[in-house]
Amino acid sequence: MDSKEIILDVKNLNTTFISDRKEVKIVKNVSFQLKRGHALAVVGESGCGKSVTMNSIMRFLGRNAVIKADSVQYNALHDGKVTEYHLEQIEKSHGPEMRALRGPEMSMVFQDPMSSLNPVYKVGDQVAEGLLQHNKGMTKQQAKEKVLEMFKKLGIPDPEERINSYPHQFSGGMKQRVVIAIAMICNPELIICDEPTTALDVTIQAQIMELLKEMQVQDGKSIILITHNMGLVAEMADEVCVMYMGRVVEFGSLADVFDSPSHPYTRALLRSVPVLGLADGQKLETIPGATPNPADLKGGCEFAGRCEECTGACRERDIPMFEISPGHRVRCLKFKECQEVQ
Amino acid sequence: MLKFIAKKLLLMIPMLIVISLIVYLGLKSTGVDPINSMIPPEVLSQNPELAEQMREELGYNDPVLIQYARWLGNIVRGDFGYTMKNEKIIDIVAARLPYTLELSAYAMLFSAVIGIGIGIISAIRQNGIVDYIGRVLAVLGQAVPQFLVGIILIWIFSIKLGIFPASNRVSPDATNAFVDAFMHLFLPVLTLTIGMVAVLMRYARNTMLDVLNSDYIKTARSKGIPEWKVYLKHGFRNAMKPVLVILMFRIPTLIGGSVVIESVFSYPGIGTTMTNAITNMDYNLVLVITLIIAAVMLICSFMVDVINALLDPRVRLGE
Amino acid sequence: MSETATVSIKEQNKSAASSLMKKNLRKFLRNKLAVLGLVVILVILVACVAGALLGVDYSTPNPPIMRQAPSGEHIFGTDTIGRDLFARVLFGGCYSIFIGVFCAVLSSVLGAVLGAIAGYFGKWADMIIVRISEIFQAFPQLVLVMMLVAILKERSINNMLFVFVITGWMTTFRMVRNEFMSLKNETYVKVCEAFGMSRSNVMFKQILPNVMTPIIVSTTTNVAYFILQEASLSFIGLGVSDSTPTWGNILNAAKSIDVVQNQWWLWVFPGLAISLFVLAINFFGDGLRDVLDAKQQ
Repeated sequence: MDSKEIILDVKNLNTTFISDRKEVKIVKNVSFQLKRGHALAVVGESGCGKSVTMNSIMRFLGRNAVIKADSVQYNALHDGKVTEYHLEQIEKSHGPEMRALRGPEMSMVFQDPMSSLNPVYKVGDQVAEGLLQHNKGMTKQQAKEKVLEMFKKLGIPDPEERINSYPHQFSGGMKQRVVIAIAMICNPELIICDEPTTALDVTIQAQIMELLKEMQVQDGKSIILITHNMGLVAEMADEVCVMYMGRVVEFGSLADVFDSPSHPYTRALLRSVPVLGLADGQKLETIPGATPNPADLKGGCEFAGRCEECTGACRERDIPMFEISPGHRVRCLKFKECQEVQ
Repeated sequence: MLKFIAKKLLLMIPMLIVISLIVYLGLKSTGVDPINSMIPPEVLSQNPELAEQMREELGYNDPVLIQYARWLGNIVRGDFGYTMKNEKIIDIVAARLPYTLELSAYAMLFSAVIGIGIGIISAIRQNGIVDYIGRVLAVLGQAVPQFLVGIILIWIFSIKLGIFPASNRVSPDATNAFVDAFMHLFLPVLTLTIGMVAVLMRYARNTMLDVLNSDYIKTARSKGIPEWKVYLKHGFRNAMKPVLVILMFRIPTLIGGSVVIESVFSYPGIGTTMTNAITNMDYNLVLVITLIIAAVMLICSFMVDVINALLDPRVRLGE
Repeated sequence: MSETATVSIKEQNKSAASSLMKKNLRKFLRNKLAVLGLVVILVILVACVAGALLGVDYSTPNPPIMRQAPSGEHIFGTDTIGRDLFARVLFGGCYSIFIGVFCAVLSSVLGAVLGAIAGYFGKWADMIIVRISEIFQAFPQLVLVMMLVAILKERSINNMLFVFVITGWMTTFRMVRNEFMSLKNETYVKVCEAFGMSRSNVMFKQILPNVMTPIIVSTTTNVAYFILQEASLSFIGLGVSDSTPTWGNILNAAKSIDVVQNQWWLWVFPGLAISLFVLAINFFGDGLRDVLDAKQQ
């Protein structure tokens, strides 16, 4: 596949946190590709490293995080011309190269709208800030008009009045719209949404997701959606990436993963989703055991301790990825006859 | 906002009345008889009924609450009474208070600038050289008693180097008032500043670290704005409020500290006056000074409220 | 549940507790500054107590040898009326440390009890105690102490202890009160009350242990605080009466410029003693906080 089709290509991303002089590997050899205009859902339980993966790509982690990758390639497409950015070669997390990308090329919507907005500034100014940063020579008045336009597009009522409000005067759903406005104002190609609706009411969740879907379909944006809500995945995603303890355990199209889940963890995850109209007496399944502490992990499959199909070989060495059908990759020894891939 | 300020100011009055009443009763209960010091002992021994007569005249035989009400009435009218040596208290206060205010204000200003500055830099460059030096200074500054810091500074700058005078506020032969003030204020202000900086620095550093870990800093970074803007516009502005509040809350320590430091440098402020008044059991004077300090303290806590309101839209907009 | 299962849970708890203790001990020992602090505290303490027990002479003036610089016979030199400074610093240490420890412990107890009452009962009990603490806080602590000294007139050591305890309980009070206010609505407290547990039992056995860690840490650092407070007060001449040697009283000599200039040992040695001890306590307290702070584990 060429760089016109692929917007983000991550190969062997490793993130290690150093705490108390000990190194803890949080993200291990993560590789995935995102197609332009597609939505990729990254799923897995809390602490599986999905957020850390995205924050590693955006370089938002603190000084105690060490990020290594063979390649993190972002391909910008402007007027039919492709520009390749090799993010793994950029040294400074907050240097000019990274900053030039944040906003106009890639941006992020955070989990908790309550704390993602600076409490002391007016929301309009917070949205306009990025715009003014990346468009030298733009006047405040022009920026204000752009912000108003964006507010209207995102369905914020009375935008003229609301841009002069402070975050505490907004409801949770409205705040998240403002956060999305901040992410969208510079018209980026790639939007990473880190559990954008977890902190919101269910009805508001639907509105926000619809908004994101609209942006993907109408404006051709590429979206990475981090979530543990399988319902959202089914509705939103074109591709699904399942993570467990810092590793991608299964990757494939929505149909691949949902219709023929192949990794034992994926199957357990899908069985544990509550479904309306669960038959009487039919119990919701849970995954036995608890997630291990990443600091205590030994070699072998991370899921071995909780897996029903675990064999001795599973604990011996790290498990490679197997491609069981085109584009559908699983990290499980059950498929060792299939071709090994990165 | 105006209503808020007026309400806070009005609430200070009952507080002051209660405090003055408690101090008045407390000092009355010591049973020190001011008459004894007003009349020379040889006069008193010849003429014992004179004391009783004076007591009656001055109203010292009335019930204590009546005496208090009379005293308070006089204070409100601007009559602060007399010291044991028959000086007008208001004259003493007018002469000494400005010196103390001057000393505290400079110490406050410098420690705020230096303490907050070092604290913020330490937070941004965590484990850097400034952070390291700052931490050593903070530890030492909190361990060495402030008066000892003063003594050490006197030893270095006055005795060994002979740059600054070791005592007093005004030199009799001074030609330039500004230079004279600088020379006399430098060491006491430095002493007080060292003590305050130690605390402020640590607090500013921790507050800034908290702020830098918050989500809106990540949002700010996601806009691609330069780091100095992230630190100053988004970080510092939010760290300001708790730091300023703590600054105000340190004022009591500053005033307490300046009482001791005035003593080290024989500085003619309200602190030495208070110390001497207590030693001499001059309770009229102690009473007035206590009231002044309480008033200063209440004004400070009032300023905390105002700063809170000014810096935080949630409070400012009354929600 | 079967008998064996209960036993094994108990055993588990026990072993978990002992391993937590071991882990904490290890963590503390790894903090070199904290260990150093503890060592310095112990050395100074043992030296002072040993000096006092051996009955070194700290009080007999000996004018012929006054203001002598440190020598083999008087290793810290002699003071303005010829008393051995080393003996005075040792005795002063006993008094100063006693004042610090006594006041820190008692003011913490007072603050904890008042905070528990105010926080648990709320309403008027809370209002009265909070008002009292506000009046106390309307003054700089040192000025408050000075006023009480003025009211009590006599500057005996008992009066000083009383003054320090009375003026030092507010921080602990606030801490304990806040914790009680937020914990008293917790389900486990409601369960205890529903079981008919007595109020004092609920307050002191069920809720108070939650705040023990910060109380212990702040008590430790308050020892240093009270030692400094006593020194300041003695320095300006309003502390413990002159006949009792405390570190602050010994330093009082340095009020004279002549002493600062010509008899450096008179302020350097007691000053070093205070600073070292306070520094050691601060290090120790920081280490204790790191170990005990559950949030960091």
